[in-house]
Amino acid sequence: MSRRRLRQGIAIALAGIPAIAFARAPSYTTAQADAGAARYTQACALCHGPDLAGSFETPALTGRFVQHWAGVPLSALAAYIQRAMPLTAPGTLSRTDVIALTAFLLRANGAPPGHAALPATPHGLDHLIFPVSEAR
Amino acid sequence: MPGLQGCQTVLSVTLQEQLRTAGALTPSLSRRRIFTGGLALGGSAVLGADHLIEPGAAQAPSGAARLSAPRPRLFLPTVQEDQISAIKVCLRPFRAQGPRYDVEKIGHKTVFHHYGHGGSGWSLSWGSADYVIGRVAATLTKRVAVIGCGIIGLTTALTAQRAGMAVTIYTRDLLPRTRSVRANGSWTPDSRIALTSAGPAFADLWERMARVSWASYRQYLGLPGLPIDFVETYALSDEPFDTPKAEPPPPPTLDFARYGTRIHDIIPASVPVAPQDNPFPVAHAKRISKMIFNFGAYGDHLLAEFHQAGGKIVMRDFHAPSDLHTVAEGTIINCPGFAAREWWKDDSLIPVRGQTNWLPPCPEARYGVAYRGAVMLSKSDGIMIQGYDLDGIGEAAGYNSGFEHPDRREANRAVGIFTDLFRRTGA
Repeated sequence: MSRRRLRQGIAIALAGIPAIAFARAPSYTTAQADAGAARYTQACALCHGPDLAGSFETPALTGRFVQHWAGVPLSALAAYIQRAMPLTAPGTLSRTDVIALTAFLLRANGAPPGHAALPATPHGLDHLIFPVSEAR
Repeated sequence: MPGLQGCQTVLSVTLQEQLRTAGALTPSLSRRRIFTGGLALGGSAVLGADHLIEPGAAQAPSGAARLSAPRPRLFLPTVQEDQISAIKVCLRPFRAQGPRYDVEKIGHKTVFHHYGHGGSGWSLSWGSADYVIGRVAATLTKRVAVIGCGIIGLTTALTAQRAGMAVTIYTRDLLPRTRSVRANGSWTPDSRIALTSAGPAFADLWERMARVSWASYRQYLGLPGLPIDFVETYALSDEPFDTPKAEPPPPPTLDFARYGTRIHDIIPASVPVAPQDNPFPVAHAKRISKMIFNFGAYGDHLLAEFHQAGGKIVMRDFHAPSDLHTVAEGTIINCPGFAAREWWKDDSLIPVRGQTNWLPPCPEARYGVAYRGAVMLSKSDGIMIQGYDLDGIGEAAGYNSGFEHPDRREANRAVGIFTDLFRRTGA
């Protein structure tokens, strides 16, 4: 491969992933995840089950959920929750609820808590991606 | 008459009386013609009888009474020991703590274990596969190896394909020769699945798996060849069903977990059969619609789907975990069933022997009977007779027995129960 074609390839690759290029693993606090767990029980568990396992008709929020969201900015996940969930009353969750639920979903799928809280600002989640789970 | 060889038939006097009362038995509709018409209905003959007696049934006082609508006519297949065409012995892979689901690293390979479903492998297969493949999918794995092609291996492979993975099955035997096909082929999701000491977390997981499996199986109802079907099964007892056992089970007492009540909302309940509606000369009877698996048709469906989705099968045996370094895939799902005891040296697996005895199919007698510790299920792949508790020791029967050879004497005992029952019924 010529240097020119190599440079073109790198440029195309970088152009294709502007948001992910600076992506990093998220940090959330235990308090956020605990708050999310409480909110989950009230707003989500009826459909997704107390153990997040879903059912034959309702998607689980572990396992294949990670397959669908890993590598995606958390801002996209938060926006989806805000816009579409709960199915019976979409758009009724507060921004604080959505951030807490996001932290809860991270913990439920094996991401460890950290010292820094998950940011609540509109673009604070843009460069944080949902991580892949370890085999477990 | 085609399809009738080997079957005796009975048109009960009770039915004739009901038909006359209902005005359905006209002079031009002879006894012989009703008999023939019933045969022409084949497996639906019982339903046909219901329609014929509709005027009488309409007088029933409540919906509950309608549930007990008489089904007095049953075809009696020729069940006797000289009709046995096959005896199959399975070793149920029982683990006290329930199936093995942990993950092991063997060199650079990641192994998801998936075996040890006792007598519930067929019933829980889809739900158990869903549980395992969900965890595999979370690692973003694109290619997986599945070891074993019994019912757990095959449904695991299909579930992985449905999750977008490329799958290769490594197996030493294909479905018709695996131990799975030596099962009795009916919905038994909590048969020797664990001891109660497995705890509440496993009970929750069991419920989730059972519900997913039940819903999955329902997708195969009505397909050509009836891979999955329901049959009406009579449970008969000479004594009231709640009569306590005369003697306690012998030691050691095995406290097998029973979870069936957790899914009672989706499983058809048994219906008491009133004495006048009981086709059998036995004092107490219940009737239940039981889900069954017809191995031939169902196996064909599963293998066809696997190949159509681009699945590959490699015929090979493994002798030690270190053999896995020769497998191309980095993620391996280990579904060997009872063979895990030898190839993974897993002594937590305990064999629980079960023997099924097979007679030729009898399409005209498509129902089941359970009586005196034996069960008969008439399926499209044959009449299955199993002495599941001939000596009255409950689920301890066959426990820790690795005797994987046919026991003709046991077969004759089990078959003889129905030889005698049907002789008395037809007398």
